[in-house]
Amino acid sequence: MSEFASALSTTTSALRLQANRIRMISENLANTDTPGYRRKIAPVRLAQDGATVSLGPVQLDQTVLEQVFDPSHPLADGTGHYDGSNVNLMIEIADAREAQRSYEANLKIFDQTRQMSSELMGLLRR
Amino acid sequence: MDIRSIFAAQKYAATRAATAATPQPDGMAASVGETINSFQQALQMTDRTSQDALAGTADPHALVHALAQSELAVEAAVTVRNKVVEAYQEILRMPI
Repeated sequence: MSEFASALSTTTSALRLQANRIRMISENLANTDTPGYRRKIAPVRLAQDGATVSLGPVQLDQTVLEQVFDPSHPLADGTGHYDGSNVNLMIEIADAREAQRSYEANLKIFDQTRQMSSELMGLLRR
Repeated sequence: MDIRSIFAAQKYAATRAATAATPQPDGMAASVGETINSFQQALQMTDRTSQDALAGTADPHALVHALAQSELAVEAAVTVRNKVVEAYQEILRMPI
Protein backbone atom coordinates (compact mmCIF):
# COMPACT_ATOMS: atom_id res chain seq x y z
CA MET A 1 0.00 0.00 0.00
CA SER A 2 1.38 3.36 -0.97
CA GLU A 3 1.79 6.26 1.47
CA PHE A 4 -1.16 8.04 -0.10
CA ALA A 5 -3.39 4.99 0.32
CA SER A 6 -2.46 4.54 3.98
CA ALA A 7 -2.94 8.28 4.61
CA LEU A 8 -6.41 7.96 3.12
CA SER A 9 -7.31 5.00 5.32
CA THR A 10 -6.00 6.74 8.47
CA THR A 11 -8.02 9.86 7.65
CA THR A 12 -11.10 7.74 6.99
CA SER A 13 -10.77 6.10 10.40
CA ALA A 14 -10.51 9.54 12.02
CA LEU A 15 -13.62 10.71 10.15
CA ARG A 16 -15.51 7.65 11.33
CA LEU A 17 -14.30 8.27 14.89
CA GLN A 18 -15.58 11.84 14.89
CA ALA A 19 -18.91 10.70 13.45
CA ASN A 20 -19.22 8.17 16.29
CA ARG A 21 -18.34 10.91 18.75
CA ILE A 22 -21.04 13.22 17.45
CA ARG A 23 -23.53 10.35 17.65
CA MET A 24 -22.67 9.80 21.31
CA ILE A 25 -22.90 13.53 22.05
CA SER A 26 -26.33 13.65 20.43
CA GLU A 27 -27.43 10.73 22.62
CA ASN A 28 -26.22 12.61 25.70
CA LEU A 29 -27.94 15.82 24.63
CA ALA A 30 -31.20 14.06 23.86
CA ASN A 31 -31.20 12.51 27.33
CA THR A 32 -30.47 15.70 29.27
CA ASP A 33 -33.86 15.50 30.96
CA THR A 34 -33.98 11.72 31.40
CA PRO A 35 -34.03 10.88 35.12
CA GLY A 36 -31.04 8.79 36.20
CA TYR A 37 -29.20 9.11 32.87
CA ARG A 38 -25.40 9.06 33.07
CA ARG A 39 -23.57 10.67 30.18
CA LYS A 40 -21.67 8.33 27.85
CA ILE A 41 -17.97 8.82 27.29
CA ALA A 42 -15.58 6.77 25.16
CA PRO A 43 -11.79 6.99 24.95
CA VAL A 44 -9.99 7.34 21.62
CA ARG A 45 -7.91 4.26 20.88
CA LEU A 46 -5.00 3.63 18.54
CA ALA A 47 -5.60 0.48 16.46
CA GLN A 48 -3.22 -2.50 16.30
CA ASP A 49 -1.64 -1.28 13.06
CA GLY A 50 -0.40 1.86 14.86
CA ALA A 51 -1.95 4.26 12.35
CA THR A 52 -5.75 4.19 12.42
CA VAL A 53 -7.85 5.36 15.36
CA SER A 54 -11.13 4.10 16.71
CA LEU A 55 -13.47 4.73 19.63
CA GLY A 56 -12.94 2.49 22.65
CA PRO A 57 -15.70 0.86 24.73
CA VAL A 58 -18.39 3.23 25.94
CA GLN A 59 -18.24 4.10 29.64
CA LEU A 60 -20.73 5.90 31.83
CA ASP A 61 -19.67 9.07 33.59
CA GLN A 62 -19.70 8.31 37.33
CA THR A 63 -20.05 11.87 38.60
CA VAL A 64 -23.01 12.43 40.96
CA LEU A 65 -26.41 12.87 39.35
CA GLU A 66 -28.10 16.22 39.63
CA GLN A 67 -30.75 16.40 42.38
CA VAL A 68 -33.88 17.98 40.96
CA PHE A 69 -36.48 19.34 43.38
CA ASP A 70 -39.97 18.46 42.13
CA PRO A 71 -42.32 16.95 44.75
CA SER A 72 -44.98 16.27 42.10
CA HIS A 73 -42.65 14.02 40.10
CA PRO A 74 -43.50 10.31 40.34
CA LEU A 75 -39.84 9.45 41.10
CA ALA A 76 -39.52 12.03 43.89
CA ASP A 77 -38.31 10.71 47.26
CA GLY A 78 -39.38 11.85 50.75
CA THR A 79 -37.59 15.19 50.46
CA GLY A 80 -39.19 15.93 47.07
CA HIS A 81 -35.96 15.33 45.08
CA TYR A 82 -35.29 12.89 42.27
CA ASP A 83 -32.12 11.94 40.36
CA GLY A 84 -31.75 13.90 37.14
CA SER A 85 -29.01 13.26 34.56
CA ASN A 86 -25.39 14.32 34.91
CA VAL A 87 -25.27 15.78 31.39
CA ASN A 88 -23.79 19.26 31.31
CA LEU A 89 -25.00 21.16 28.26
CA MET A 90 -21.89 23.33 28.09
CA ILE A 91 -19.56 20.33 28.05
CA GLU A 92 -21.61 18.57 25.37
CA ILE A 93 -21.75 21.64 23.13
CA ALA A 94 -18.00 22.14 23.50
CA ASP A 95 -17.40 18.45 22.69
CA ALA A 96 -19.65 18.68 19.65
CA ARG A 97 -17.79 21.71 18.39
CA GLU A 98 -14.47 19.99 18.91
CA ALA A 99 -15.69 16.94 16.99
CA GLN A 100 -16.85 19.18 14.17
CA ARG A 101 -13.53 20.99 13.95
CA SER A 102 -11.60 17.73 13.96
CA TYR A 103 -13.90 16.33 11.27
CA GLU A 104 -13.27 19.38 9.09
CA ALA A 105 -9.52 19.11 9.58
CA ASN A 106 -9.56 15.45 8.56
CA LEU A 107 -11.72 16.20 5.54
CA LYS A 108 -9.17 18.78 4.44
CA ILE A 109 -6.35 16.28 4.84
CA PHE A 110 -8.32 13.71 2.83
CA ASP A 111 -8.80 16.19 0.01
CA GLN A 112 -5.18 17.28 0.14
CA THR A 113 -3.91 13.70 -0.03
CA ARG A 114 -6.09 13.10 -3.07
CA GLN A 115 -4.86 16.26 -4.73
CA MET A 116 -1.22 15.40 -4.07
CA SER A 117 -1.59 11.94 -5.54
CA SER A 118 -3.46 13.31 -8.53
CA GLU A 119 -0.82 15.97 -9.12
CA LEU A 120 1.91 13.34 -8.99
CA MET A 121 0.17 11.41 -11.77
CA GLY A 122 -0.38 14.70 -13.60
CA LEU A 123 3.38 15.03 -13.97
CA LEU A 124 3.35 12.16 -16.46
CA ARG A 125 0.67 13.86 -18.51
CA ARG A 126 1.68 16.55 -20.94
CA MET B 1 28.07 -38.46 -43.63
CA ASP B 2 30.79 -35.91 -43.31
CA ILE B 3 32.23 -35.78 -39.81
CA ARG B 4 32.21 -31.98 -39.90
CA SER B 5 28.44 -31.80 -40.37
CA ILE B 6 27.99 -34.01 -37.26
CA PHE B 7 30.20 -31.65 -35.27
CA ALA B 8 28.24 -28.72 -36.60
CA ALA B 9 24.95 -30.32 -35.55
CA GLN B 10 26.37 -30.96 -32.05
CA LYS B 11 27.60 -27.38 -31.78
CA TYR B 12 24.21 -26.12 -32.87
CA ALA B 13 22.41 -28.25 -30.26
CA ALA B 14 24.78 -26.94 -27.57
CA THR B 15 24.24 -23.31 -28.56
CA ARG B 16 20.44 -23.55 -28.74
CA ALA B 17 20.14 -23.94 -24.97
CA ALA B 18 21.97 -20.68 -24.43
CA THR B 19 19.82 -18.72 -26.85
CA ALA B 20 16.45 -20.15 -25.74
CA ALA B 21 13.99 -17.64 -24.28
CA THR B 22 13.82 -17.71 -20.49
CA PRO B 23 10.28 -18.69 -19.53
CA GLN B 24 10.44 -17.33 -15.93
CA PRO B 25 9.29 -13.69 -15.60
CA ASP B 26 11.99 -11.15 -14.90
CA GLY B 27 11.79 -8.45 -12.23
CA MET B 28 9.89 -5.91 -14.27
CA ALA B 29 7.17 -8.30 -15.42
CA ALA B 30 6.66 -9.47 -11.83
CA SER B 31 6.34 -5.93 -10.49
CA VAL B 32 3.92 -4.97 -13.27
CA GLY B 33 1.82 -8.03 -12.45
CA GLU B 34 1.83 -7.07 -8.78
CA THR B 35 0.70 -3.53 -9.59
CA ILE B 36 -2.12 -4.81 -11.78
CA ASN B 37 -3.18 -7.17 -8.99
CA SER B 38 -3.37 -4.35 -6.45
CA PHE B 39 -5.27 -2.24 -8.99
CA GLN B 40 -7.77 -5.04 -9.44
CA GLN B 41 -8.12 -5.47 -5.68
CA ALA B 42 -8.84 -1.75 -5.26
CA LEU B 43 -11.58 -1.94 -7.90
CA GLN B 44 -13.09 -5.06 -6.34
CA MET B 45 -13.09 -3.40 -2.91
CA THR B 46 -14.92 -0.41 -4.41
CA ASP B 47 -17.48 -2.73 -6.00
CA ARG B 48 -18.13 -4.52 -2.74
CA THR B 49 -18.27 -1.35 -0.65
CA SER B 50 -20.62 0.46 -3.00
CA GLN B 51 -22.95 -2.54 -3.05
CA ASP B 52 -22.87 -2.64 0.75
CA ALA B 53 -23.46 1.11 0.95
CA LEU B 54 -26.49 0.87 -1.32
CA ALA B 55 -27.78 -2.03 0.76
CA GLY B 56 -27.27 0.11 3.86
CA THR B 57 -24.67 -2.07 5.58
CA ALA B 58 -21.54 0.03 4.95
CA ASP B 59 -21.06 3.53 6.30
CA PRO B 60 -20.55 6.49 3.94
CA HIS B 61 -16.97 6.96 5.10
CA ALA B 62 -16.01 3.54 3.80
CA LEU B 63 -17.76 4.31 0.51
CA VAL B 64 -15.95 7.62 0.05
CA HIS B 65 -12.66 6.00 0.99
CA ALA B 66 -13.09 3.16 -1.49
CA LEU B 67 -14.18 5.50 -4.27
CA ALA B 68 -11.25 7.86 -3.73
CA GLN B 69 -8.87 4.91 -3.63
CA SER B 70 -10.15 3.45 -6.89
CA GLU B 71 -10.23 6.88 -8.53
CA LEU B 72 -6.52 7.28 -7.80
CA ALA B 73 -5.80 3.72 -8.97
CA VAL B 74 -7.66 4.24 -12.25
CA GLU B 75 -5.93 7.57 -12.78
CA ALA B 76 -2.52 5.96 -12.31
CA ALA B 77 -3.39 3.06 -14.61
CA VAL B 78 -4.71 5.36 -17.35
CA THR B 79 -1.61 7.52 -17.15
CA VAL B 80 0.70 4.52 -17.47
CA ARG B 81 -1.38 3.13 -20.34
CA ASN B 82 -1.22 6.45 -22.17
CA LYS B 83 2.56 6.47 -21.78
CA VAL B 84 2.84 2.93 -23.16
CA VAL B 85 0.61 3.69 -26.15
CA GLU B 86 2.59 6.85 -26.81
CA ALA B 87 5.85 4.91 -26.84
CA TYR B 88 4.34 2.29 -29.18
CA GLN B 89 3.20 4.98 -31.61
CA GLU B 90 6.64 6.55 -31.45
CA ILE B 91 8.14 3.21 -32.52
CA LEU B 92 5.57 2.86 -35.34
CA ARG B 93 6.55 6.27 -36.71
CA MET B 94 10.19 5.27 -36.81
CA PRO B 95 11.47 5.26 -40.44
CA ILE B 96 12.85 1.88 -41.52
